Amino acid sequence: MSAAISQTTSQGLSNERAARSLRTAAPWRQGRALYLAVNIAVLIFLLVPIAIVIVFALNPTPFIQFPPVGVSLRWFEKFFASREFMHALGFSLEVAAITTACASVFGASAALAIARGNLPGARLMLAVVLSPLMLPAILTGLALFQTYVLLDVGRPVWGLVAGHTLVTIPYVVRTTLAVLHNFDLRLEEAARNLGASPTRTFFEVTLPLIKPGVLAGAIFAFIVSFDQFPVSLFLVSPGSETLPITLFNYLKFDLDGTIGAASVVSILLAFVVVIALDRTVGLRSYVKL
Amino acid sequence: MTKSSGPLRLNRRHFLAAGTSLGVATLTAPFVARADEPVLNITGWGGKWGDIMRSDVGPAFEKEFKCKLQTDTALPFLPKLQASSRSVPIYDVLHTNSNEQWAAADMGLVEPKVDPRLVPNLADVYPYAISDKIVGVSIFTSAIGLGMRTDKGFGSITSWKELWDAKYNGIRGGYVIPVNSLGQAFLMMCGTLFGKGQTDLDAAYAALEKLKPIKLVDFTGAMEKLFLSGEVGIGVIHDSGIYRYDGQNQPIDFVTPTEGVLSLEQVLTITPGSKMKELANAYVDYMLRPDVQKKLAETVWYSPANKKVKLDAKYDARLLTTPEKISKLIQVDWKWYNAQKDEIDSRVNRIFRA
Repeated sequence: MSAAISQTTSQGLSNERAARSLRTAAPWRQGRALYLAVNIAVLIFLLVPIAIVIVFALNPTPFIQFPPVGVSLRWFEKFFASREFMHALGFSLEVAAITTACASVFGASAALAIARGNLPGARLMLAVVLSPLMLPAILTGLALFQTYVLLDVGRPVWGLVAGHTLVTIPYVVRTTLAVLHNFDLRLEEAARNLGASPTRTFFEVTLPLIKPGVLAGAIFAFIVSFDQFPVSLFLVSPGSETLPITLFNYLKFDLDGTIGAASVVSILLAFVVVIALDRTVGLRSYVKL
Repeated sequence: MTKSSGPLRLNRRHFLAAGTSLGVATLTAPFVARADEPVLNITGWGGKWGDIMRSDVGPAFEKEFKCKLQTDTALPFLPKLQASSRSVPIYDVLHTNSNEQWAAADMGLVEPKVDPRLVPNLADVYPYAISDKIVGVSIFTSAIGLGMRTDKGFGSITSWKELWDAKYNGIRGGYVIPVNSLGQAFLMMCGTLFGKGQTDLDAAYAALEKLKPIKLVDFTGAMEKLFLSGEVGIGVIHDSGIYRYDGQNQPIDFVTPTEGVLSLEQVLTITPGSKMKELANAYVDYMLRPDVQKKLAETVWYSPANKKVKLDAKYDARLLTTPEKISKLIQVDWKWYNAQKDEIDSRVNRIFRA
């Protein structure tokens, strides 16, 4: 009898537990479904413009038409056949590559100085270094243009690179500082105790450890420079126009699928850069942070 | 004994060396390329205009005058000129539409007139090209009128006022007036059509109110595409924006309203601080030469300013090439418009925001 009571009691408890579990599981499942729905909505919001650009690029009509009437590569042909676009694409890639190198060196150095230099007014320095992000980029471009005019140097390519570097340094500083925040100083001390010079310690201990942050900043720098429009608007010189500026000028006279084709090429290039960096310098190490 | 040649192996050192060389080459190329020949800094358009200037008209000028033509096609021109030194302006010759030229002239950034002694071809231009409504000289003009789809059964359109017909609700096209010269010129036309003249803003505003619903675009090129796609059946456009699709079997046409067409001038001016005055005047004169005018007119469908230009029949039939056709041209008082621009922008923004 007591066994039966015990069995009944335990069954009752188990039913109650199951019911409680069901009660708690139902809202959890709803929450999860809502979470998924929100994430999917955000993804759609992010990807729809890209999808529209691709549709525009592949549609044979010389205007945006939905639904598309067919698939054609004529706008890609026009884009790749245009000397003006090809020159602008090559020039944009060169400027972005040089900008990335400059921003990485200056940005990482500034981050190290701010985080590790025990400098008076480090917070103020950080605010100054990050200030290009707060100022409208078009004003940065105009200010630089006026500076070059005052210096009587015209609109040199290095001036354009300097402008791009100025607005991309904050990205490298931010990502490098994030890595430096968790930096174990004892590793450097150990290297020094074992006889490594400061230079060797920097190149063999510090740099490999901050590399993920610098690399992430460098990727941002490349993409921001490659797509840079407001700063370039005042700084490009005749014959040395970047792709976004060339596209803008083209847009004023010819609004056809070539713009879409150029955008698709830009998107693909961004992918290629990220993949190339992953393969050559190991982007995954940053992802693991 | 020679070293066996294997496959090319690129290591990090090679990569860095190549990257650095490329960077140095990019940064120094303009200095290496710079020669001793004089450089004339001008502005210009992109599109087909830019293509023929780069491939044909520009190089011919460089060859004849032994100079380098440096053309800035990256808008905006006026703020750049404004930001540069008056004594060493960024441009020697400014090429823009008339409204911007007036703004530049008011700021003293360009010389208000071109000297006919230094530009002999000025003697052959139509009066409109050097009228009191023009700063510098207009080298070409387009006619702003009405564009229409020919496949919608609209019948013949003869007057600007037909744009207000309720049957065109939903397929009517116009411009964002604060940023588009065609829109600004059209606003002045509204004053002429429904009021006492171009400066009758109250009549123009009332007319714009009645024009709604209307599809507005900021770039003129976008209006062409709206016509091609059929989103707009009737709208304000310049003749070149329609004629450039000639021979492409598109169901669109340009209408010259009986009240006249507005002029959209391509104007050249010289900056007072230019150190290349002689070359700048030579360039203006060159652009007015009949052969250069013909070449450009037949490429971009602009009406030439030089009376002596003989266009091929196809172009001659449609462009403004005779005094009779030119008499249909209505020039806008841009000096007056620019003085009222802030007030106009604010008012039309309120009209179309609603």
